This record gives sequence, C-alpha cells and structure tokens, in this order.
Amino acid sequence: MPRFRLTALVTYGAVTAWSLFVVLPLLWMVMAAFKTRREIFTNPLGLPSGFSFDSFSRAWGVGMGTFMLNSVIAVGLAVLVIVIVSGMAAYVLARTDSPIAKGIYLLIVACFAVPLTAVLVPLYQMVSAAGMLNSPLAIVLPYSAYGIPFTTMLFYAFFLDFPRELEEAARLDGCNQLEIFFKIIIPLSGPVVASAAIFQAVFGWNEFLLAMLMLTKTEAKTLPVGILQLKGEYASDWPAVMAGLAIATVPILMIFILAQRYFVRSLAGIGK
Amino acid sequence: MSQVQTLSPASAAERSRVMSTATSSALMLAPVLLLCGVFIFIPALLTVAGSFFSFGVTSPHWDFVGGANYARAATDPVFWTAMKNNIILVVGSVVLQVGLGTILAAILDRGIPTGSTFFRTIIFAPIVVSSVAVALIWLIIFDPNTGILNAIVKGMGLTPPPMGWLGDPNISIWMVLIVGTWQYTGFMMVMILAGLQAIPKELYEAAAFDGARGVKAFWYITLPGIRNVLAVAALVTTISGFKAFDLIFVLTQGGPANATQVLGTYIYFQAFKFNDMGYAYAISVVLLAVAVVLGSLQLKSNRRA
Repeated sequence: MPRFRLTALVTYGAVTAWSLFVVLPLLWMVMAAFKTRREIFTNPLGLPSGFSFDSFSRAWGVGMGTFMLNSVIAVGLAVLVIVIVSGMAAYVLARTDSPIAKGIYLLIVACFAVPLTAVLVPLYQMVSAAGMLNSPLAIVLPYSAYGIPFTTMLFYAFFLDFPRELEEAARLDGCNQLEIFFKIIIPLSGPVVASAAIFQAVFGWNEFLLAMLMLTKTEAKTLPVGILQLKGEYASDWPAVMAGLAIATVPILMIFILAQRYFVRSLAGIGK
Repeated sequence: MSQVQTLSPASAAERSRVMSTATSSALMLAPVLLLCGVFIFIPALLTVAGSFFSFGVTSPHWDFVGGANYARAATDPVFWTAMKNNIILVVGSVVLQVGLGTILAAILDRGIPTGSTFFRTIIFAPIVVSSVAVALIWLIIFDPNTGILNAIVKGMGLTPPPMGWLGDPNISIWMVLIVGTWQYTGFMMVMILAGLQAIPKELYEAAAFDGARGVKAFWYITLPGIRNVLAVAALVTTISGFKAFDLIFVLTQGGPANATQVLGTYIYFQAFKFNDMGYAYAISVVLLAVAVVLGSLQLKSNRRA
C-alpha cells in the first residue's frame, strides 16, 4: 500500500508541476495587466495593489477591437473556404478511380509538404503585385490554400469509408453530384467538419508571419500582428501590453476550456 | 434492331449523366487546383527559379547569377549559424516536447486515478495562445529589469546572467527552446495520449498478471504500442523546428549578433531588410528541400500509424 501512495505522489507531483509551469506565466500576464507602471518594477512577483482597468483602456485604445474583428472575419472566411473547397475535392477524389484523380490527389499531398516560410517571399511579391496588400483577401486566400491539403487528406480518408447506399438512392432520385455533396454528405459529416474547422481556426487565429507582411495598416491588422504593434507603441508600458495580451488571449482560452473535448479530438488528429 | 432502338435512348441518357458527372467533378475540383496552384505551387516554383537570379523586392531586373546565391550561402557563417540553431531547436524540441509529452501522457492515461481531463486541459491550453502573445509574456519574464525570472533567481541567492537571459549569445537559443517547450509540450502530450488510449487495456492486465506494472509496463507495453505515434510526433516537431519564426522574431529578432538566427528569420531579414531577394530565395529553397523530405517521411509514417 505505501508503495502505491508513493507512486501517486510522484505522478500527481509531476503533472501538477507542469500545470503550474504552464499556468503561472498566464496568471502573471493577467496580474501584470492590473499593476501600475511603477509597481511592475518595484514588485514584479507580488499581487497588484488594486484592480484598476486603466491599462486595459490604454490597450483597447490602440485598436484591439478592430484587430479582433479583423481576425474573426479573416479566420471565419478562410475556414469556410477550406471546409467547402476541400470537402468537394475530397468527395470527388474519393469517388473517382481515374489516373487523373490519382494525380490530383498526389499533387495535393505534395502541397502539404510545402511550408509557408519557404515560399513567403514570392507569395508576398505576388500578392503585392496584385494590389491586394492590406486587404483581408491577402491572408484569407493563402490561409485557405495552406489549409486545403491537410483538410482534403482528412476528408478523403473519411469519405472513403462513407456508406454509398444513400448516395445511390439520391442519384436515383435525380440528384447530381453537387446536390448529393451538399444535401447528403455534408450534413452527415458533422464531426470531421468540426475537427477540420477547429484545427484551421486555431492555425489562422494565431498565424503571424504572413499577416505581418501583408497587413501593414493598423486598421487592417489581425490580433497577432496587432498585439506586436501594442508593444511598439507602449515600449515601457508593460501593464498596457499585458492588458492587450489578456484581451487577446483570455476569450480564446475560455472557448478552449468550454469546448476542450472538441479541440483535443481535432488537434490530436494530426497524428493519425 | 428493336433491341438497339430501345437501348440507344437509355445509353444517351447514361452518356449525358456521365458527362454531367464529369463536368461537376471538374467544377468541384477547380477551386482546390486554383488555390493550391496559385498560392502554393507557383510560389514554390518561383522560389526555385528566383534562387538563380539577383534582384530586389521591387526591382524589375532579374540578373541571372547561376549558383552564386548557393555558393554565397555555403560560405556565409550566418547561414550556418541559422542552420545550426534550427538543428538545436529540432533536437531539443524532440527530446523535450516529445519526451515530456510521452511521460505526461502516460501519467494521464494510467498513472492517476482522477483529474486527468483537468490536467489535460491545462497542459494543452498554450496551443491556443498565439506565439506572439507567448513570446511577449516570456519577454518580460526574461526581462533583466522587470522580469520575474531574475527576481526568482536572486531570491534563491544565485546570480542571473549579467547580459540578460536573451542578451547572452551563449544561452539565448536555449531560452527560445524553453519557451517553445512551454507552448508545444501539451500538444505532443495530447497526440501521444490519443495513441495510448488505443492500446488494449487487456494487455496491461495480462502484463500485471505476469508482474509487470508501472515503469515496467510503460517500457514493455506502452512504448512499443505507440511507436508509430511517436514517429509522427517526432516528425511534426522536426518540421515545426525547421519552420520556427514567430517566437524568435518577437523574442530576439535573431540576435544578439545573429546568435538565435534561424533559416526562417534569416530569409525574412535578407528579403525585407537587406532587399536581397535572390539570396533569400536560395535559403528558401534549402528550407523547402528539408521540408519536402521531412513531409514525405511524415506521410509515410502517417500511413503506417
């Protein structure tokens, strides 16, 4: 018996220690946001002396609301495009045996291996030449393109196992392929669509490099780029920077905690 | 004859249905081909082509220079520092993130009787926080004046590094590694946990019957059972180690004196700070080649897993 208690002590100790390591910086961010500019120097470790929201209003003044709205619009559009476009392609590819279909699937798989970082410079030049800088499309279209290969592969595997009887019945009723996809396949693919959408939303919400290059005007920036601007404007005003970070991260953390089961299912999927 | 007549309208209808399926197939495939073609394939080809030229970001003149950009990389010490840092990040991340992720996953799977969802949620949480926010939080934790790390180290009676945690070129890349581990260990843990939960519980019961429990069971049942998942986890970590950009860009800007430069940041600075596009393209090709090789390995092991 004492052996088991010792084991429990070690295992609980280990997960508790790592949890504290994870939580303390986030907690410290929130506490620092409530501190005054002087307090953060004189008392870095302690609790804030009061709960003033001054630093939050300074941070909000930089345009946190606009950044957040831009992020919601860009990520929402990209996720919508990714799910519909990948879904249609995956469905056609999963139901076609021609060598052309095989070739297209291989091409999509090859695109999966290309990282954004490696093609960043030509991508920037193309988007810039097209006059799309500072438009939401400048990130929505690349995010969509880079989300498609993984999502198509995910959907393809799912559609291969999808029972065909319903599709046959719909075809006999005169539905064409497009109607079958939107009326039969999509409504019955809820879990895999949700997984793909969450995965891509997390990626898009946090994407920084492309957004920084494409969106240089304050009113066009997304959250990750916007919070960096916050640091540029409030160089020594750490409470304002931390307040901005809290505004940007606490809502997404709340959503994550409420829906963690779905996040886990979605993000663990990359290992499969 | 009559047979032919009754058949032909049917086969015409059949043919038109096939035609319309072909048309709708093409329509449904077109957006993927268009998006991936324009935003992935063409830029990738341009990267390879541009690496043989010399030009600026807005310059209309592309001067053909052959392999000069690659020759320059071969003798550029900063390029090799960047490559070395990528490798440090890759090896360090595989050891720390996959290693700690495996231990934490094993504990959550079988090591604690209650609370595993609670701990999983907390440990996984940093994955939803943007890297920029993560880097900014750690930037002030490491700050020599306001940082809590200095306060803690001093509190323990030790001396913090005089040049600062990120200012000392000997330790700065390791600080980046710690921040990356903070952010991604939970992700690895969740991936590995999914693999662990697929191991049949009867195996553990049988092993316990034979006297293999705890660490022994972990060694003889858990690890072999998640071999494929571990391979994928290591590859995913390796690929993201080569793609590293956000954390370093915000934490150190590749400094001090290029000590934390990686391929991603070096491409960025060559292209957008020094306006040396051809050279940036050549480094991009190196990164692209590494990513394609690793990516194909990942797909192979994915298929096996």
